[in-house]
Amino acid sequence: MKKEKLTLPDFLRIKEFGAIVGVIVFLVLFSLLSNKFLTAENVFNTLTMAAELGIISIGVAMLIISGEFDLSVGSVFAVAPMIFAKMVNARYNPYLSLIVSLTVCAGIGLVNGTVTLKTGIPSFITTLGMMMFWRGILLAVTGGFPIMLSRKLDMLQYFGGRVYGGLRYSAVWFVMLGFVFWFVLEKTRFGNWVFATGGNLGAARALGIGTTRVKLTNFVISSVLAGFAGLTTFARFALVDPTFGQELELEAIASAVMGGTLLTGGYGSVIGACIGAFMISMVRNGLVLAGAPAYWYRAFIGVILIVAAVINARIRKKVAG
Amino acid sequence: MSQPLVEMRNIKKSFGRVKALKGVDFSVGHAEVVGLLGDNGAGKSTLIKVLVGYHQPDEGEIYFEGQLVRFSSPREAREHGIETVYQDLALVNLMPLWRNFFLGREIVRKFGPVRCLDRRTMKKIAREALSEIGIKVRSVDDTVAFLSGGERQAVAIARAIHFGAKLLILDEPTAALSVGETRRVLEHILEAKKRGISVVFISHNIYHVYEVADRLVILEHGEKIGDYKREEVTPQQVMDLIAAAAGVK
Repeated sequence: MKKEKLTLPDFLRIKEFGAIVGVIVFLVLFSLLSNKFLTAENVFNTLTMAAELGIISIGVAMLIISGEFDLSVGSVFAVAPMIFAKMVNARYNPYLSLIVSLTVCAGIGLVNGTVTLKTGIPSFITTLGMMMFWRGILLAVTGGFPIMLSRKLDMLQYFGGRVYGGLRYSAVWFVMLGFVFWFVLEKTRFGNWVFATGGNLGAARALGIGTTRVKLTNFVISSVLAGFAGLTTFARFALVDPTFGQELELEAIASAVMGGTLLTGGYGSVIGACIGAFMISMVRNGLVLAGAPAYWYRAFIGVILIVAAVINARIRKKVAG
Repeated sequence: MSQPLVEMRNIKKSFGRVKALKGVDFSVGHAEVVGLLGDNGAGKSTLIKVLVGYHQPDEGEIYFEGQLVRFSSPREAREHGIETVYQDLALVNLMPLWRNFFLGREIVRKFGPVRCLDRRTMKKIAREALSEIGIKVRSVDDTVAFLSGGERQAVAIARAIHFGAKLLILDEPTAALSVGETRRVLEHILEAKKRGISVVFISHNIYHVYEVADRLVILEHGEKIGDYKREEVTPQQVMDLIAAAAGVK
């Protein structure tokens, strides 16, 4: 980048600035409260715990930036491992089961998108309906009981198995997917269209951008990533509960917002959403290590979310108007 | 110039029982600035939307560069060099200038199916193109939200010029602008004309149009009620005409 006269310090232009500061603040705070906090082992743990939420929030952030919501990700998070477990238990090929479960997720995303875009009802409603629908199906199919995997699968090692100490493959996937979608959003033409679609739908259309396709693609990405995140968690426990992933949709939105994504679209960051998920995981972990009762965790996250949103809004006003 | 750049003949368009256009003839010459005037609901926007393919005419023909055309979408019109700048639909406020400049026409490098933005080239070209038509911006990394209304119009015009538009359609470009800014936008219109681009300038404000237009076309209730060369009329006469048409009917 060339040097230019700027009225603002350059670091404020970093969309994730608020989230990075937040992480540093909590890092210092929890390190002071517990000497176990800032150890390699615990950082790996935190990253692994952040992974399932983080992978979901990547897709959710992309979709929000293009101007739509997905509240069904929490249910999809459970649908994918449920299909996978059912198929594997019925002696289907595990790879086929994997493909089928992720394809169903893609299909759910496609339905979310198609219904939203064809009928013009808000995606908030479409995906709320889908969330309820799939949760109901899960409960009906399982009768409310968890499903266990009846045989051991080596492939699951690469979804949720240990890499080193507390570091699991899910964390590796999280970091990789975060990088891939950061690249897609910031560096590719598709990413440019995502920003335009969410920022000014009319202008994007007038300039000949296929906004429907952009949104539809993001609905599918969001759904598939949610299913994938569910599979990584399933790989760890070899068990899936029909209530699996409840409220994750809201935590994913919280992660995205903490990471600087604007809820009304057109502005945001994938890396920010990843940092947001990491921050949530860090607070959960830090509070436990600091000896606070586990009940405090949600209250804490609630406050952080609001503070983060206020700070991010201030910064955004300065750098993006 | 023997043949106009655009010629619309006997254009009719109805929406249900409402006859929005009742057989309008409209033409734009090469490097000509045409002011399109009329009260609200006179049919100005509909006429333009028929031209760029947003609406299909019920009757009538459209010739562009002598060819009979019927654009199926604004995108197709754009590919032929007809660029429309709508008031609120020109730019994306939260995106940096350079991204806006190239939106929908990004310069990319292909790696398999991946199309990577060539940021450096796009920034450089955007910077040059803007300064060439006399728009000063602090940085092409700034978002459009920081620009004034006039600057936004200017960016949209610069973009159209850069991408080789033959016809530039401006929808109320001076609405809600300060006096100084209006002046600057009018200068950009003349700059476009100097480069051989034809301009259709849609406005309520006869004084803004009068300053730059070569010809004035007045619509009322879906009919053309006036088509004058600038020298033939005064702004007052045009205003009286519009008022009379609105009052009589």
